[in-house]
Formats: sequence, C-alpha cells, structure tokens
Amino acid sequence: MKTRLLMTLNVRVAPPTDIGPVPHGTRRIARLAGGDFEGPRLRGTLVPGSSADWLLLRGDGVLELDLRVTLRTDEGALISMKSFGLRHGPPDILAAIGRGETVDPASYYFRTTPRFATSHPKYAFLNRVIAVATGDRRPEGPVYTIHEVL
Amino acid sequence: MNARQLMILRLTTGPTEEVGETPHGTVSIFPVTGGTFDGDRLRGKVLEGGGDWVTARADGTLELDLRVTLETDDGARIYMTFTGIRDDTSHYFRTTPRFETAAPQYAFLNRLLAVGVGEISPDGPVHVIEEIL
Repeated sequence: MKTRLLMTLNVRVAPPTDIGPVPHGTRRIARLAGGDFEGPRLRGTLVPGSSADWLLLRGDGVLELDLRVTLRTDEGALISMKSFGLRHGPPDILAAIGRGETVDPASYYFRTTPRFATSHPKYAFLNRVIAVATGDRRPEGPVYTIHEVL
Repeated sequence: MNARQLMILRLTTGPTEEVGETPHGTVSIFPVTGGTFDGDRLRGKVLEGGGDWVTARADGTLELDLRVTLETDDGARIYMTFTGIRDDTSHYFRTTPRFETAAPQYAFLNRLLAVGVGEISPDGPVHVIEEIL
C-alpha cells in the first residue's frame, strides 16, 4: 500500500459524557475541546462546536470510534472529517491509558479511516481521497497521524 | 503505513439496477452474483446476494457502498462491507473494508481495519485488500 502524509491532528478531549449500556455495547461521547492539524498541504485548527468522538465499547473488548470533527484551515476554509476506527490491546496497556498515563502507541492497535468533505476549491482533493490514520492516545487527547492512500 | 496482504477478492455482478438521479447523485446498484476470495489466512467463495450501491457525485467521483457475504472453505460466514471512492479520470479506486464474523478462527477480522485497491477486470471487479497493521 502506497501512502503519503496528509497531516498530524492533535486533539484535546473534554470530560466525556457516558450514555451507558446500549444494545451494541457501552456508549460514551467524548466532546473535543480543541486541537490543531498540520501537514505539507494544509494546516489549521479544530472547531470545537460539534466535534466529538462517539465511542462504543463492544462486547469483545474492542473500542469502536466514530469521530466527527470540523477543521478550519489557516485561510479559513472549513473541512468536515469523519473517521471510523478501532482501538484494542492488552488489558494492562488499556488500563494505563484509562489512568491517563502515556504508553507506547506501538503497544496497542489504534487505527482509523478518515474521509473528508469540503467546498473549498483549494482542498477539493480531499473529497477524493481515502485515508488511514494511526492513533496515539496521549493524556490530553489523541494524536492522529493521517496518511492519504495513493 | 505498514500493511499486510489479507485477500484478493474477485466479484461477479449481475445486470445493473439503475435507480437514477436522487438528491445525492445518480444511484446505480450492482448486484453481486458470486466470486472468490483468496489470501494466506482465508479463502473461499462469495455468496450470491448483496451488491455495491454506487452514487455518482456531481464532481464526477463515484461513492461506493458494498455489502457481501463471504463463505470460507471451512464453512465460516463473514459479513463484509466497504465504502470507497472511484475516480476513473485519475484511476483512483480505493476502499476501506470491514468484516464481521462469529467464527473464532476468523475473529481477528473483527479487530482490524483494511484498505482495498480496486480495478475493473473483464470478469468483474477485483479488490486487492490489505490489513492495516
């Protein structure tokens, strides 16, 4: 698979809202307080309003991620990003993340597949790309390294 | 980005069901009539049924939304979906498959994300699918 770096997205999470047990697992909503992104072709900040990750902890221990964020580039273009992802790993590693500790991102699986939508001509290429991201859950929030699939 | 080969999926399709212009674009449904999949860790056939719900967008790009059922050579069933983008002007045909199964020997599929590179062969669509490591 050939890929090219699209951006690194740093996200700050707000205290989560627990929905609790639902038919498909345990639902939690993590609103995002802010963030920033930077790559060779685009950079800017995260718009906190609607941006959040709708988390579902499945019965098999896998955490399903359903992230929706709005990005604002440095010249003011808005980009909607949605990404589905999975996070799982050894129980002790996941417990350490839960305690807010920093762990080696290679010690667990945290991957997402972002898709983008924008009306800005400069960023229209984003409407036409499939992307994959590796996540690193830092204490203040996740860092996503996002690659375009070429 | 590290990846590992998962399977080559070959699909056969029946007559296209043209839904026509809808609020989101022009919708065409490609019914799946069968096919095969083959990889180091799993192989078998594609069951008849399912299809690819394709929306032609105003910007000339096709949005793909596929659902099929795979049956392995040892009798396990795997529900597979993908969404993706196909842009014939730039020869870009990429998807992000996901899998669901109850079979313990294939439970690893429930826990991975994947990327497919597609092409249209004379016999039907072919997807080279890699697991994202």
